[in-house]
Amino acid sequence: MRRGLFIFLLLTLALALAVGAVGAQEPTRFAGGWPYQLPPDGHFNSYASGVINLGIYWDLMEPPLGVYMWAQGAYEGMLAERFGFEGDEAYTVTLKSGVSWSDGSPVTARDIVTTFYTGYLIGWAVWNDISSVEAVDDRTARFVFKAPSQAAERRILTEQIRPASVYGAFAERAKPLVEAGARAGSADFDALLSELTTFRPEAFVSAGPYVLLPENITDAKVVLVKNEGGLNADIVAFDEVHLWNGETEVVTPLVLNGELWYGTYGFPPATEAQFIQAGIDIIRGPSYSGPALYFNHAIEPLNNVKLRQALAYAINREQNGFVSLGESGIANECMCGMSDNLASVWLSDEVMDSLNYYDYDRAMAESLMIEAGFSRSAAGKWTDAGGNVLAFELIFPAEFLDWAAAAENVTAQLNDFGLEISARGVQFQQQQQDVYDNNFQLAIRNWGVGSPFPGQAYLQAYDRYNGQGELAGEGVGGGMRFPQSVEYSGGTIENLRQLALDSSSGLDIDAQRARVAMLALSYNELLPAIPLWERYGNNPLNRAKLNAPPNGDPVYINAGVDHFMPYLIMTGGITPAV
Amino acid sequence: MATLNPPIRSASSRPPSLTASARLRRLARSYTLRVFAQAVVTVWAVITFTFFLIRLMPGNPVDVYIDFLMNQQNITYEEARARAASQFKFDPDANIFVQYGEYMGRLIQLDLGESITSTGTRVIEQIARFLPWTVFSVGLGLFISFILGVTIGTIMAYLRNSWLDNLFSLLASILGAVPNYIWGLLILIVFGVQLQWFQVGALRGTYNSSLTPGFNLTFLLSVLTHAALPVLVYVLGSIGRWMLNMRNSTIGTLGEDYVSVARARGLPPSRILLAYVGRNAALPMFTLLAIDIGFIIGGSVIIEELFVYKGIGSFLFWSISQRDYTSMQGVFLVITISVVFSNVLADLLYSQLDPRVRVGGGEK
Repeated sequence: MRRGLFIFLLLTLALALAVGAVGAQEPTRFAGGWPYQLPPDGHFNSYASGVINLGIYWDLMEPPLGVYMWAQGAYEGMLAERFGFEGDEAYTVTLKSGVSWSDGSPVTARDIVTTFYTGYLIGWAVWNDISSVEAVDDRTARFVFKAPSQAAERRILTEQIRPASVYGAFAERAKPLVEAGARAGSADFDALLSELTTFRPEAFVSAGPYVLLPENITDAKVVLVKNEGGLNADIVAFDEVHLWNGETEVVTPLVLNGELWYGTYGFPPATEAQFIQAGIDIIRGPSYSGPALYFNHAIEPLNNVKLRQALAYAINREQNGFVSLGESGIANECMCGMSDNLASVWLSDEVMDSLNYYDYDRAMAESLMIEAGFSRSAAGKWTDAGGNVLAFELIFPAEFLDWAAAAENVTAQLNDFGLEISARGVQFQQQQQDVYDNNFQLAIRNWGVGSPFPGQAYLQAYDRYNGQGELAGEGVGGGMRFPQSVEYSGGTIENLRQLALDSSSGLDIDAQRARVAMLALSYNELLPAIPLWERYGNNPLNRAKLNAPPNGDPVYINAGVDHFMPYLIMTGGITPAV
Repeated sequence: MATLNPPIRSASSRPPSLTASARLRRLARSYTLRVFAQAVVTVWAVITFTFFLIRLMPGNPVDVYIDFLMNQQNITYEEARARAASQFKFDPDANIFVQYGEYMGRLIQLDLGESITSTGTRVIEQIARFLPWTVFSVGLGLFISFILGVTIGTIMAYLRNSWLDNLFSLLASILGAVPNYIWGLLILIVFGVQLQWFQVGALRGTYNSSLTPGFNLTFLLSVLTHAALPVLVYVLGSIGRWMLNMRNSTIGTLGEDYVSVARARGLPPSRILLAYVGRNAALPMFTLLAIDIGFIIGGSVIIEELFVYKGIGSFLFWSISQRDYTSMQGVFLVITISVVFSNVLADLLYSQLDPRVRVGGGEK
C-alpha cells in the first residue's frame, strides 16, 4: 500500500514536471537577418523612404496578392484566392475570406484600392498599365487596363497590400488626382504627396501571419510576433520570427555561433567554407544576375564587334566564376543577356541551337583578332594597324569582393592573351557613376535581373548602363554608348531599349517569345557586354535548427520579389528542426 | 567718532576711466576671448569645408535611393527615378551656394534641418537618439582607461627598470600599437565564436530587448552588460598610451628638486606620492584627457558597427552610406563643436596652470 502510494506520488510529480515543462516551453522561432534602420529614421510608413526595411521578410506583414512560382511558371495566390484577366480590358482579383488585419478589421477589396491609388502618388509604374481600380464587392477588386500585359499582371499581383484603415484617406484624395491625370508639379498632388511621405503611423498594421510591434524593435534585432487573424497564421510553424540587424560581416559571427539560422547575404568563399565546416548547409538559388565586362563603345577599337567576340572566347568564364565566388559563381552559358535558367524557358530549341556559346577557345580568339585587323607584336602583345598595343583600364567596384576578384581574374586572363589591361578598384558609387557618365574604358557591372520576364534583364545593358543622363534629361553621360539601333544577322532592330520594354507587353506569349528571341540573338552576336558568370546564392541554412526542403528543390529558384524564404515560412514549408 | 562723509580721494588715486576704444583694445587682448573667437571661426570653417566636401562624394541621396529600388525591387531606372523624386525634397541639381546659404541660415537659428532620406525626421531627433549611447560607452571606456593607465603608469615609474616595468611597458606598447577594431574582432571570433564564452547576439544592442527602459537596477545592469564589450575594446585600445605617458611624466617629476627636498625633509612616501609627485605628473594627463573628451562624441564607427551598438558612430556610417547630407552635417557639427571646445577647455586649463601661456599671448 505504502509502495503503491509512493509510485502514485512519483508519477504525479513526473506528470506535474512534464506539464510544467510544456507550459514553460520557449516559443518556436525562425532566426534570420536583415539590415534595418532604427527609429527615428526607421518608421512604419511603407510608402515613404526610411521605413524600417525588412527586405524579403516584409511579405510576412504586408503579403502580396500572389507569388510567382518560377519552377511552375505560374502564380500562387497569397492574399488572393482567384485572379485573372477579363479579356484585354481588365484584371480581377478575389481575396481569400477570413483574413484580418492586426487591428481587427477584415482584409477587403478596399485595401487593394487603397494600396494602388496611394501608390500613384509615389510613382508606381503600374499606373502606366491601368487606368483605374475599383472594389466590385467586399472581396473582389477590378483593375481596368490601359495596356494589358503579363508585366502588368505581375505588378498587380506582387505588390504588397496596405491597410485602408491607415492609408484610406490618402487613397480617397489621390483618386481624383488619378482621374485628372495630375502629376508631380501640380499643387494638389505635391501637397498630398508631402503629407504622405511625412505621415508616421504609430503602429504597424499587418495582414500577414506576423506583426511588428514597436516594443519589439531593438538595435540588435526585431521580433515579429504572431498576428492570429493574419494570412496563414494557422499554417506557419513559428511563433516568432527574429531578424538580426546587420550586413554580411556583422551577422557572420551569429551564423557561426548558431544564433542566426538562415541568411540571404553574399558571404565570401572563405566564410562559406567555415560554415560548411561547422555543419551548416548552403542554399544555392540562382539570382538571374551576375557581373559582366562592359565596354565603352565610344572608344576605338572597343566598338569592334570582332574584338568583343574574340575576348569572349579568350576568357575562361568557369575559372572566373570559381575564383570569384566558389561554387556559387556559375559560368554564363548562353551569352545572350539573360540567365541560362530563363533562356531555357523562353527560347525555343531552334534559337538555343543558333546561339554562339563562346566556349573558352584561345585559337578561335586568335583568329578573330586577326580577322579584325589586329596583329601580335614581337613581344606577343596585340597591336592595331598603327602598331599601338591594345591597352585599356578596367575599373571595378573596390568594395564588392566577388566582382573585384572577377575583375582581377579577367585582367590576368586577357593580359595572358596578349592585351595590356590594368585593373583599378574604385569606390562602388563612384565606379557606377563613372559608367553612367561614360568615364571608363572597360568596367565590371551587373547583367540580368531577378525577374521572370527576360526583357527586364536587357534593361541593364540598354537602359541602366546605356543612355544614363540622356534619360534624366541631363544630356550628358550616355553610359557605355552602345547604339540603340543595330543590325545583326537576324535583321535590324530600331530601338533595343524599346524592344526590351515591349518584350513583355500584350498577352500573346508567342509574340513575346519572338521579341525575346530577337533580343537574345542580337545580344549574343553583338555582345554589348560579356556576361561572366551568374551569381548563385550562398545562403547558410542551419538544418540543426530548421527543417527545410533539400537543396535542389524547385522552390529555391524563386528569386527577387518572389523570394523562396518568406514563401516557405508563410506556407509552412519550413519548420523548427526539433 | 565715525563720520558719514566719504573719504576724500585724490584724483590720482582713482582708477583711470577707460575710453571705449581702450576697452575694446583690452577686450581684444583678452586671452579667453581670443581663444573663443578662434574656436568659433574654426567651427565655421569646418562646417563650410565639410558642407562642400560631402557634396563632392560620388553619388547623392537620390542616386543611392534609385540604386536601392532597382536592386531590391527590380524596377526600371525610369520608375526608380520617378519614385525617388517623389520621396525627397532634396534637389541634387540645385545651386550648391544656394544650398549652403539656406543651410547656414537655418543653422544660425539652431535648426539642423530634416533628414533627406527620411522626410519629416528632424536631425536633432536623430542625434538625440544615438548620441547618449556613444557618450556613455566611449566616455566610460575613456574614464576606465585613464584611471587604470594613470595608476599603472605611476607604479611603473616607481618601479622603473624592474621586470614589472618592462612587462607593463611591453604590454602598453602592444596595446597601443594594435588598432581597437582588431581587439574587437579577436574578442568576437575567439571568445564569442570559438570558445563560446558568451552569446554574441545576446550582447548586441544597447540593452536587453525584453526590458523597458527606466531607472531600475535590472535595466541599468543590462545597459552595463551590453556596453561591456565595446568599453573593453575602448580600454584596450587606449590604456597603453595613458600608461606610457604617465610613466614618463612621473619619472620626470621624480627627478625634480622639490621631490628630493620633500624626501630630505622626511615626509612620508604616501604624502610625496600624492601631494608632490602624483599631482604634478598627472597635470599633462588632464590636458590630454580634456582633448580626448572631445573625441568621445565622434565615437567609433567600426566598434559600434562590430558590436551593433547603435551610437552616433554607427548612425554616421549609415548616413554616409545613404548620402544623407543633412544628417551627416548634423553629426559633423556636433563632433566639430565638441572637439574644438574641448581644445578650448584644454587651452584655458593650461593657461590657468601656467600663466606664461596667457602673458605670452599678450594678455596683461
